[in-house]
Amino acid sequence: MTLILILALVTGAILFGVGVYGALSQTNLVMIMMGVELILAGALVNLVAFWRFLHPESYSGQMFALVVMTVMAVEMAVGFGVAIARFRARGSVEMEEAGDLKG
Amino acid sequence: MYAQAFFVAVFGLAAIGFGVVVFRTSSMVRSALALLFSQTAVGCMFLAMQTEFLGVLQIMMMATEMSIMAIFMVMFMMDPGGLGGMEMTHQKRFSISAGVVAGGAAIAVALLADWGPVTVEAPDAEMQTRALGIELLGRSMLIFETAGITILTAMIAATAVAIPVYTLSGNGGTETKETSE
Repeated sequence: MTLILILALVTGAILFGVGVYGALSQTNLVMIMMGVELILAGALVNLVAFWRFLHPESYSGQMFALVVMTVMAVEMAVGFGVAIARFRARGSVEMEEAGDLKG
Repeated sequence: MYAQAFFVAVFGLAAIGFGVVVFRTSSMVRSALALLFSQTAVGCMFLAMQTEFLGVLQIMMMATEMSIMAIFMVMFMMDPGGLGGMEMTHQKRFSISAGVVAGGAAIAVALLADWGPVTVEAPDAEMQTRALGIELLGRSMLIFETAGITILTAMIAATAVAIPVYTLSGNGGTETKETSE
């Protein structure tokens, strides 16, 4: 069983690393959001694995996973709102062109 | 147990593979679909780990989220099909280093830490859903309600940011759309 826990944790860690690469390397706002989604997915995998294999009797672990899913949804909603505002103001969502956040 | 380990490994590899494809393909629509498959594979991992409710929730949420993301990609990208071969990355070496260091550190912690005794038996799906419901409406109600309010606030904030700004001009009080450029 420790093998499955380790498999899940390593998967979460690699997803986190790929997400960090994506969030830092992309110039497009929507692509940066995709990187952040992968980072959160890595965290989610770890949380679920910890709950399932270490503390299945405490449902606060699943609650924590639900909070991370909420954060993913909120990030998408606010990110797309900013993307629309930016696109309307400047005609592009390339972050290289965004020296500041002023619309 | 070996079947469970096999499926967790297969879905984990699929999640990582599609996660890498997100940043490797030049087509933005393919990127969004790759992220959808990656998140679905994560959901399948949850199912393989006998966390049925969260697995199904993850697949349903991400299918919706990533479909919306694909639409936004087509709306906002200068080259959504990736036919022009545009370069859309910067500080590549630093990003790769940061990703490798972050992932490597997390793997090191996963492999080197003493996680203590591991529980073999998981509660069955019905019991899990029932216990989670009691948790949500009992001890964790404040957190649950806060999450709901946060989503509502984010929806209102996103809509407020996204709608165009209209101002009343001095010329007869007619509405004019404010543009930045």
